[in-house]
Amino acid sequence: MLGALIFLLIGIVVGLAVALVVKFFGVQGNPLLEQISELMPGANCGGCGYAGCASYAKALAEREARPGACPSMSKEAAHKIAVLTGMHEEEREPMTAVVLCSGDEDKASRRAGYNGVNNCRDAVLVAQGAKSCSYGCLGLGACAQVCQFGAIEITEHHIAVVHPELCRACGRCVAACPKHLIKLVPKSMPVQVFCSSPERGAVKLKYCKGACIGCGKCVRSLGSEHISLVGGMAVVNAENPPSAEITSLCPTGALRTLDRRGGK
Amino acid sequence: MIANYLHFYGGVHPAEDKLAKGNSIQVAPLRETYLVPLQMHIGAPAKLLVAKGDKVLRGQMIGEANGFVSAPVHSPTSGVIKDVTTALNPTGARIPAVLLESDGEDKACEMLEPIKDWQNAETDVLRKRVGEAGVVGMGGASFPALVKLSPSKPVDTLIINGVECEPCLTADHRLMLEHTERVITGCLIVGRLLNVKEIKFGIELNKPDALAKLQEVAKGTKVQICPLHVRYPQGAEKQLIYALTGRKVPSGGLPMDVGCVVQNVASVAVTAEAICDGKPLYERIVTVTGRPVVNPGNWLVRVGTRLADLIRLAGGVKEDPAKIISGGPMMGFSVYSLDIPVMKNTSGLVLLSRSEIVQYQSKSCLHCGRCNDACPMQLMPSLLSQIIESGKFDMAEQWHVMDCIECGCCSYICPAQRPLVQHMRRGKMEVTAIRKARKG
Amino acid sequence: MIIGAILVNNFVLRRILGICPFLGVSKSTKTALGMGGAVIFVMTLSGLVTGIISNYLLKPFQIEYLRTIIFILVIAGLVQIGEIVLQRLSQSLYKALGIYLPLITTNCAVLGAAIICSDEGYGVLRSTVFSCASAVGFSLALILFSSLRERLALSRVPQAFEGTPIALVTAGILAMAFMGFAGVN
Repeated sequence: MLGALIFLLIGIVVGLAVALVVKFFGVQGNPLLEQISELMPGANCGGCGYAGCASYAKALAEREARPGACPSMSKEAAHKIAVLTGMHEEEREPMTAVVLCSGDEDKASRRAGYNGVNNCRDAVLVAQGAKSCSYGCLGLGACAQVCQFGAIEITEHHIAVVHPELCRACGRCVAACPKHLIKLVPKSMPVQVFCSSPERGAVKLKYCKGACIGCGKCVRSLGSEHISLVGGMAVVNAENPPSAEITSLCPTGALRTLDRRGGK
Repeated sequence: MIANYLHFYGGVHPAEDKLAKGNSIQVAPLRETYLVPLQMHIGAPAKLLVAKGDKVLRGQMIGEANGFVSAPVHSPTSGVIKDVTTALNPTGARIPAVLLESDGEDKACEMLEPIKDWQNAETDVLRKRVGEAGVVGMGGASFPALVKLSPSKPVDTLIINGVECEPCLTADHRLMLEHTERVITGCLIVGRLLNVKEIKFGIELNKPDALAKLQEVAKGTKVQICPLHVRYPQGAEKQLIYALTGRKVPSGGLPMDVGCVVQNVASVAVTAEAICDGKPLYERIVTVTGRPVVNPGNWLVRVGTRLADLIRLAGGVKEDPAKIISGGPMMGFSVYSLDIPVMKNTSGLVLLSRSEIVQYQSKSCLHCGRCNDACPMQLMPSLLSQIIESGKFDMAEQWHVMDCIECGCCSYICPAQRPLVQHMRRGKMEVTAIRKARKG
Repeated sequence: MIIGAILVNNFVLRRILGICPFLGVSKSTKTALGMGGAVIFVMTLSGLVTGIISNYLLKPFQIEYLRTIIFILVIAGLVQIGEIVLQRLSQSLYKALGIYLPLITTNCAVLGAAIICSDEGYGVLRSTVFSCASAVGFSLALILFSSLRERLALSRVPQAFEGTPIALVTAGILAMAFMGFAGVN
């Protein structure tokens, strides 16, 4: 009996103490922020342009950012946030990363043996990389390492390939590639020129059978509103891209569709 | 006779392999073409003064300095500019260059006016001449001498680097032995230019003949010859300053922060020629050596001579080399093409046979600590390489990766054969990018 | 007694109490320091309050059987207060500690100290000092372990061992090291 009374007494004292502290020290939470934080995917990929999911959530709660900038978020979650904050979603065209190089071990030659750290960003420090083409993919996987969605594969022929269906276009691979080969392009674009070397076609052909040699067959066939020659290399017009049939014209196979199916 | 020197921390003792140390300097015969780079120095490439089809004479300025941190380039021989193109440099980058076709006459242009009375000449006049002659750091760094000799802080000591601590290289050794008067004159000229209190000449004890000759010629002059024990990298700037003066260059600082200027012995010799004979810099001594080489030796070659020609001069190879290095085996650059031209700072061409090279392994760190003992900058390569492998580059910055001088002691001594210097270079590349992003 | 509580009979490594935050918060030294501070705060106050309750309420009224529930009540209240104060002082640390902050309530180290004091019959002062020293010992073990884990994160660990397994192995080795203090008076 006495025990129960003392217990009750202590309970009241402790409860009062906590209540007092809450009253004088309590920090007001932001319920909107908490609701938004729960809808965040938590990938911290940086694709929204903010430092992490928490930063983007804060910006949304303060109505400094628009919902829909997050490439990792599902459409329903983005819509829910739009409803919560009363803002319209940003229209985003689905993008994907592409590695603009065709020179795998089959097609491209090496200028020397390389022995060192097996990472592209390290390998590029030694004579700009061991591949004959100074602008080509080294195939050591710096991009694949940073991809959190497993979208980049280093093929058995040692070249990086992005799988567009898995890619969320967060942009980490773009920053990781030391040769700046990776670009973000709209998923809807049918073809790309998988070559990034500005050198002359005849020079390129000597050490890579997959290079764009600037022969112009694609330009002549479709006309320059869809694809044109810039500095000896074919460049696709992003506003008015050519259709996929054009890939059968390319003699080296540098012009291909996003899923890397091409003429040759 | 051991001078009163200080031991710097760390360092290693690689085998010297100075196969060419007994071979006196031979003058290389004229080549048919020279691929003359317009950037043989740190700083902006020289601005081209000639065009395709122009006729030039030996010693004529074909590229002028482009800004303060830059240097002019002079034609190595007389002939015609065949093409304005690019050349490959030892790091694999493409630099602007001109292809010069020699006419075989080697006619000289009107050289600069010799300044016979340099002891009493205005220091500004001397300094201007050093700039006009295109003198750069010939020990490998290729920093424009005009900039180095115009320090923005007071300097009281001039240090001459005659150490040549890299294994295999003997160019500086032969220069000191065969052209001792020129070397000492150069030291005195630069000393006068900078108005220093002391001139200390560092040389390792593995060159007794050069040491004796230097001491003989320098007797009675301001130049103090200081013999140093053999240890790599004794010739590294900061280590040399510490050994000779006891002063420590602060982290991220320069020698002038402790009142010193360091010059390579070849640079001062060329300065002497520029002042006393009016000759600009267009040739240098290069060591061609290595077990695969038929006749290792030291050659006086003009800039623009291709590495392939150097090997031909040395009689070719008796076995296929596994590695071809421009510079020394510790800090030189492994090259994949012999079309690379000799530049003002090319000290040597070292060929290594298959049995002499080490294959790097991607093994884990053993935590043996040998690299930490060996690092002359007192860094911790074991921890740093692990930090860099994990991608934590801001942590790498905190552990002073930017102070690494890339001397190679850690890679050399690592029993797990880890490519430590490559890790350091990656770390430095990423930290530089982080710092740039921070500012911008 | 203080040396005993901190080193010889270290709460984490010898008595194996408080393992949950030990493994959960020790990934970085910064959070470990924060957690250590929070635990010292809670345990010292709990030592004081439970000491008073033990000596002036439980013993005289012979209701020692209620000690567990009453101690938990007090500790829960103190942890709540500590949480709010921390949230006010350092938002980032509050977020970093996350769920582990309210888990101090169920941390057997805190309750363990209180019960040991009650068992040994410590007076109020002795109870407070003992609790504080135990908390210091806990923090010491936590900070040491977090530094080890930071180094571990840089090394190449076999895939099967990555994360918790290698942490547990390391904790075991650290406990062995602390066994060296056994017998120190």
